[in-house]
Amino acid sequence: MGVGTQQLDFAEFYRSAADECLRAVLVSVGDQETARELVDEAFARAWASWRTVSGHPAPKAWVVRTALNTGISRWRRRRREVPVSDPATVTDRPAPDAAVASPVDPQIMAALMRLPARQRQVVALRLILDLDTNGTAEALGIAPGTVMAHLGRAMAALRHDLQPELRQESRS
Amino acid sequence: MNDTELSTAVRDSVAEIHAATPVEAIISRGRGVRARRRIPVAAGALTVAAVAALAVTALVPAGHLGLVPSGRPGLASPGTRGSSHSNRVQLAAWTVAERANGDIDVTINQLKDPAGLQATLRADGLPVSVSFSGPIVGGSCQPYTASRGTLRTVAQFHSDSFAIDPSALPSGTGVAIFDEPGTGLPLHPSPAVAPRGAPPLHPSTGSLLSGLDGPLAIGLVYASPQCTG
Repeated sequence: MGVGTQQLDFAEFYRSAADECLRAVLVSVGDQETARELVDEAFARAWASWRTVSGHPAPKAWVVRTALNTGISRWRRRRREVPVSDPATVTDRPAPDAAVASPVDPQIMAALMRLPARQRQVVALRLILDLDTNGTAEALGIAPGTVMAHLGRAMAALRHDLQPELRQESRS
Repeated sequence: MNDTELSTAVRDSVAEIHAATPVEAIISRGRGVRARRRIPVAAGALTVAAVAALAVTALVPAGHLGLVPSGRPGLASPGTRGSSHSNRVQLAAWTVAERANGDIDVTINQLKDPAGLQATLRADGLPVSVSFSGPIVGGSCQPYTASRGTLRTVAQFHSDSFAIDPSALPSGTGVAIFDEPGTGLPLHPSPAVAPRGAPPLHPSTGSLLSGLDGPLAIGLVYASPQCTG
């Protein structure tokens, strides 16, 4: 594979997969800026290992898994090196202006963030990336049965969290 | 609400989120990832070369001693000081070395050859602008306001060096290294400079790390081809 062909292939993959991967990582981490940074890094690593990634059965899952692993590694490193007594000291940006409309549904995102991390990852891969149970299990390194169990619990918790709001909407 | 409706609601909740980073920026960052991966291989080759050189040294007569530099020193040159042997070297103005975890260690002994340091760091995949003679920020470099906590994750000062973690850079940013706080990044009116031997000071409202062994400071800028390569 020539360098030019490689770049074209990667560019096509990036353009077709970047939005989905970003949404999947966002569902897992809950913060847009963090998700964007992690996905950028994961795609950069995908480019650096494009021969391997292009032959992967689920390259989008590879990117999402890499982004999530990168996030975990950074969290561990920062936890060791920067004891955070006051979270405000590490805030890069001022608190978001409530008046600014977010493209993310805040109720659903809040409900997702109340799920355990593994359940969020399963939701991200199954619902956002549309992977099947086996593909999700392979990407996360867990058994297919565990994927189904996590998804079932996640859906039940989301339904429980979101149902009252939907009822309220239907009444009004 | 059945599973299908719930799944649709979850998908729709993030449907307006779109990736904004141009593919060219991703590829540029990917080149940096590749460069970082090559360093351990190069270091291994250097180690083999060093071992081979030592073995040869042990087998040849005195007077043919060779020096194998470690890292990538800038402006290093043999010094004779009246001796016919060339087994002394001047301290390099600066030395760049990359750790296995991807962090880049920079030791600066003299504020010389900023262009060489900048080129070396950029070759390691770090978007960076270096100036040892006044302001970095002109029309092409725009300062990025970061918290002290973020700067600490990007740059760690040690007694005679500092380390930069490229993977901790916020998306779309680069590093600015400069020598004259107050004339570099026009972010804050008087970034503190630590006196020799004192621990680095961080201005309470500032976003510059400064200190080390002189008036050296590190800040973040928005990455661009004109500013950070």
